[in-house]
Amino acid sequence: MNSQTVQQWKRFKSIKRGYYSLIAMLVFLALSIFAELLINNRAILVKYDGNYYFPTYAGFIAGTHFGLDYAYETNYRDLKKHFSGQNENWVLLPPIPYSPFETNFLENSFPPYPPSISDQHYLGTDIAGRDIFSRLAYGFRLAITFSMILLACNYLIGIAIGCAMGFWGGAFDLLFQRLIEIWSNVPFLYVIMIVASVIIPSFWTLVFIMVIFGWMGMTWYMRTATYKEKAREYVEAAKALGASNVRMIFRHILPNTVSIIVTFIPFSIATGITALTALDYLGFGLPPPTPSWGELLSQGTSNLQAPWIVTSVVVAMTIVLLMVTYIGEAVREAFDPKRFTFYE
Amino acid sequence: MSNRNFSTREMNWVALYASLWLLIGCSEQKESESTAGTVNNIESDNYLVEILPSYQNELLPEGLRWETNESDPVFSSNEAKKGGKFNSWILSFPLTLRTVGPDSNGSFSTYTRANNLGLVGVHPNTLDYYPVLATHWAFDDDDRTVYYRLNKNATWSDGEPVTADDFMFAVDFMRSEHIVAPWYNNHYTNVIVNISKYDDYTISIEGATAKPPEEMLNEYGLSPIPRHFYRLDENWVQEYNWRLAPTTGAYRISIVEKGQYVEFQRNGNWWGDSNLYLRNRYNVDIIRFTVIRDMNVAWEYFLRGELDSFPLVMPSFWHEKANGEDFDNGYIQKIKFYTDRPRPSYGMWMNMDDPILGNLNVRLGIAHATNVEKMLSTLLRGDYERLKMQFEGYGDYSNPSIQPREFDLLQADNYFVAAGFKNRGPDGIRANEDGQRLAFRVVYGSQEHTPRLVLLREEAKKAGIELNLQLLDSSAQFKQILEKKHQIAWMGWSTGLVPRFWQYYHSDNAHIPQTNNITNTDDPELDSLIMRYRKSKEKDERVRLAHLLQRMTHDAGAYVPTYKVPYTREAYWRWLKMPKHFGTRTTDTIFNPLGEALFWFDENLKLETMAAKQEGISYPVVNITDTTWRVD
Repeated sequence: MNSQTVQQWKRFKSIKRGYYSLIAMLVFLALSIFAELLINNRAILVKYDGNYYFPTYAGFIAGTHFGLDYAYETNYRDLKKHFSGQNENWVLLPPIPYSPFETNFLENSFPPYPPSISDQHYLGTDIAGRDIFSRLAYGFRLAITFSMILLACNYLIGIAIGCAMGFWGGAFDLLFQRLIEIWSNVPFLYVIMIVASVIIPSFWTLVFIMVIFGWMGMTWYMRTATYKEKAREYVEAAKALGASNVRMIFRHILPNTVSIIVTFIPFSIATGITALTALDYLGFGLPPPTPSWGELLSQGTSNLQAPWIVTSVVVAMTIVLLMVTYIGEAVREAFDPKRFTFYE
Repeated sequence: MSNRNFSTREMNWVALYASLWLLIGCSEQKESESTAGTVNNIESDNYLVEILPSYQNELLPEGLRWETNESDPVFSSNEAKKGGKFNSWILSFPLTLRTVGPDSNGSFSTYTRANNLGLVGVHPNTLDYYPVLATHWAFDDDDRTVYYRLNKNATWSDGEPVTADDFMFAVDFMRSEHIVAPWYNNHYTNVIVNISKYDDYTISIEGATAKPPEEMLNEYGLSPIPRHFYRLDENWVQEYNWRLAPTTGAYRISIVEKGQYVEFQRNGNWWGDSNLYLRNRYNVDIIRFTVIRDMNVAWEYFLRGELDSFPLVMPSFWHEKANGEDFDNGYIQKIKFYTDRPRPSYGMWMNMDDPILGNLNVRLGIAHATNVEKMLSTLLRGDYERLKMQFEGYGDYSNPSIQPREFDLLQADNYFVAAGFKNRGPDGIRANEDGQRLAFRVVYGSQEHTPRLVLLREEAKKAGIELNLQLLDSSAQFKQILEKKHQIAWMGWSTGLVPRFWQYYHSDNAHIPQTNNITNTDDPELDSLIMRYRKSKEKDERVRLAHLLQRMTHDAGAYVPTYKVPYTREAYWRWLKMPKHFGTRTTDTIFNPLGEALFWFDENLKLETMAAKQEGISYPVVNITDTTWRVD
């Protein structure tokens, strides 16, 4: 690591709330990657007749396989009860034994069920009897993945075009500036509405549409930064030494604009999450029954008599967005050159 | 808003502008509003009529025995008062205000069509016919021609008299290909074969086949079409999309604010007020249907008193929402009213043109994999009952031996295996040897139904099928279904007086868009039976054929019936008053201002209630359950 990066990292670490937010966020991300092991109706491990089974990743195992009387997928919660008292057969369930899709009905009462520790619905259920914790967790994973993919695509296009505009300038720059201005005026929400009324929007169609309308933001910053760097002596020097365009862009200009890019990342992630949530809330996002925060939010607001729905999702969203913002703040602070520059 | 009248051409520009603004986005709200304008005061929107179609008189046969009905009990209340503005709501704005032609069959059409009265009406309790636009009727000896003597007082809402020519024109109109309505084209050609005029107030309608008298009045009747209003040419569909046609009913549309609301105004001096069975009905002066795209938002409007009544058939609303201060203080009242009437056919409709759904075993497997029982007992709290088949509640015409297919994984398994879907993938979903998965798209049109479909989806997984849910705006859903682009449609058909098969099951309507054969049923044997049913004159034979047709369509398994609701449940502010008997045997919605509309609006009571609410005065709680018409 070069000394500047070390400096920046130290600076970042010294901003406590950003640093701890980053750690917490990474922990959440790591946990969400293994969500199937923590929040799932499939057991982690089953020992039956001397054999071990790992249903989480192994896939569908029919109930008959474990000596139950049905041919559809085993209900591992029931299986655990079924095995209770037997020493040789046992089931290891995840801490939250519900999948985000499963509708669970309790006897003599109707969903939504309030939070309950004995039923292991720690945040209650939604109006279809699905566990809210489970839907929140999977919804988080989906939103964050969505947002990261979106970010990668947007930045790839935005940086490439912005950089090219700044580097070549002239007619190319002028043309793209006008194109981007026009393109930014297409109302993105209407396009989504039209698309959603014709096809079922899938994860990738949503990413695609959002990229189509979202890559422009980065171009302006990159264009300016490239213009600025291009005029610097070291680029001139490289050019004088006969460096190719590719070398100039990738070895000299891009590394020097990295601070701009990095500073924007956390905020773009927050935007991505909010955008998906908003679309789901309006009903133009991912089709039901995909676990999604927006869908929970819309359920919650229309069922205020069950306050645990709306509370859970609002609190979860606030925490995640706050953390992302804290990280963003700290990154910006750490990359701020002013701290090391003195003007006279 | 200006009061200018739009000519057709200007209207087109307005529509174009409006759609452009929709596409570009209304960055300048004001401008777009003034461009879209308010389309009102349309009665004066006449174009110059060069030539009105005219019709020749024929000679009325001698010896006709004219009948009428003034002896059945009146079902409205003479305590009813006129006046008031009734606020109601719709989920989406209608795609057109035409009552025929493309996209005209959406849910809003029940309101527009309610103002096109027929020759006779059906008494909601006795099911006898009573005079409406016709004062008398007589039957010809050929058993397929009905003579009608028209009411000379009847007028259109623009003041023009309703004459025999409007009925003659109606047949020409319905036969015209310019209206792009194949069902009507066919009905007015092959079911109603001829119409004759004897003088300005006497007509006869000739049907294709002999029928018992009571069915003739139902089948061989029609609503007049205002001859002086329409110009039929190839532009008809576009030109009349938003034009406000004169009506014969109590109301006419007075204001249309596109995308926002439609307002109906009661016709002053309505001719129907002198009719025994129309008197004291349709009591409110103004009805406004505001677009509220979410039922829960509409509920909040209702609680604020901005809507006057609210349907509470949905269990979540009845049990969880319809409680609280306004109910405890008696400002809002509740009624549960049992009825005895044909049931709408809610359920899953499969498109048999789909390569997988074309397989009978797959369809039967799906029926056995649909856990309606669990949905009813859990999510719907046992409030709804299982529907047995498409035509339930039609008295003799309903085949009592048909039972719905129950959730039975063993049978489902047998059918799926027989269809070649033997193995399950790692997600538990079946696939055949070609790798085709047993996955289907279910299209539905109401967010409120998501929990039901989520439950059915989870249960269906047990049988190894995957139901992918597609929630669309209800108009978009309807369009997709009528264009036959669905796989499985989650919807229900409304009902008629007797079961109808041709529109749902005849091959003439299969594989083409904009017809009601959404299963794409195409079976020559069924076709010939349907035609026999349509032509049959004897009630016994018709009943027998109806039973047979119901059995055959049940065996084809393209429809999974789900639930019926044998009552209506509604909440209403206490300023809405009802007759002592509340409703009738066949009431659909008590507070539908364009339905039976027996209720009235007490404006003084509204002021009193609003004041009481401010001051915290309470009234006794009213929670009515009426079982007069309950059938067990």
